[in-house]
Amino acid sequence: MGIVTAALVTGAVLVVATVAGLVWRAHTGRVTDVSGRAESELTGLLGFVSGPAPAEPGTAATLLQFSTDHCAACGPTRRVLGRVASEHDGVTHLDINLTPYPELARRLNIMQTPTTFLFDGAGRVRGRIGGAPRLPELLSALTPILEADHVHS
Amino acid sequence: MSTAESLSGQSTSPKAPAGARRGIDPRGPRFTASVTAVALLVVLFLGLAGASLAATILVAVVAAVFAWAAAAGVQRHPVGAIFRLLVRPRLAPPQELEDPAAPRFAQLVGLIVTGVGLILGLVGVPYAVPVAAAMAFIAAFLNAVFGYCIGCQLYVLLLRAGVIKAGVPQAGIAA
Repeated sequence: MGIVTAALVTGAVLVVATVAGLVWRAHTGRVTDVSGRAESELTGLLGFVSGPAPAEPGTAATLLQFSTDHCAACGPTRRVLGRVASEHDGVTHLDINLTPYPELARRLNIMQTPTTFLFDGAGRVRGRIGGAPRLPELLSALTPILEADHVHS
Repeated sequence: MSTAESLSGQSTSPKAPAGARRGIDPRGPRFTASVTAVALLVVLFLGLAGASLAATILVAVVAAVFAWAAAAGVQRHPVGAIFRLLVRPRLAPPQELEDPAAPRFAQLVGLIVTGVGLILGLVGVPYAVPVAAAMAFIAAFLNAVFGYCIGCQLYVLLLRAGVIKAGVPQAGIAA
């Protein structure tokens, strides 16, 4: 392969990597509406939650984060979601370490960590976020759930 | 109104994000990824242009740095030392610290990819070195430029495939 062809192929690899990065950045952290997915009912997942105490869901909403031991974005996500929970009444943040539970990752089709599920006060799944959540998008997904809860109670 | 941190008894201080495990400046692995991405792009060009010896030597150097980082940790290898001694003193303190397990996993992935390329190249498989360099380059470039973390994706996929198995259930990711 000549030098010109080699330079062109090298440049093409650089372009492919850049496009892949732009596509990834456009999708990561977005909230997807997954209302009505029965396989991700909150009650069936509480037993997997990390920590010594039995996990209590939020009365208004639950932010359920899935993590692993080798995930750079999971720590910052844990802090952001923890802050959202502490700033909203009735909202709880829970964390599940997937490392011991690969069958859970398969069941919920989790392809990356962190993946966060958003549940309403009745434990129904409402939203799903792959990657580090975008805070403004998360808050606007949370608002109608909290308002509906307020109206009913 | 509880958080996962309070449930698992973890500190919520940004200075101690990973419990007992000490956090690192997340810009360190990004700096290392930038250096390795440039080196791997040079390997790719040299390998394609027919400078096989130079490409093989340089990919061996990159693989050695990956091995060093994977074995000793992401701060205790030559490029990490350059960041610690020359770059970090010129930067503002980090906003938050990062668990070093994820970048270390990424270095191990880099070692496997470049190591396989190097061995196949040495036994005469054509284009093994540039193909491996291109794959490792894409991962290092995505990490350096976009903050993509290969451990966040590949680790859970390997768990699902059963390639990685956890010993005993652990109390929590940060524990």
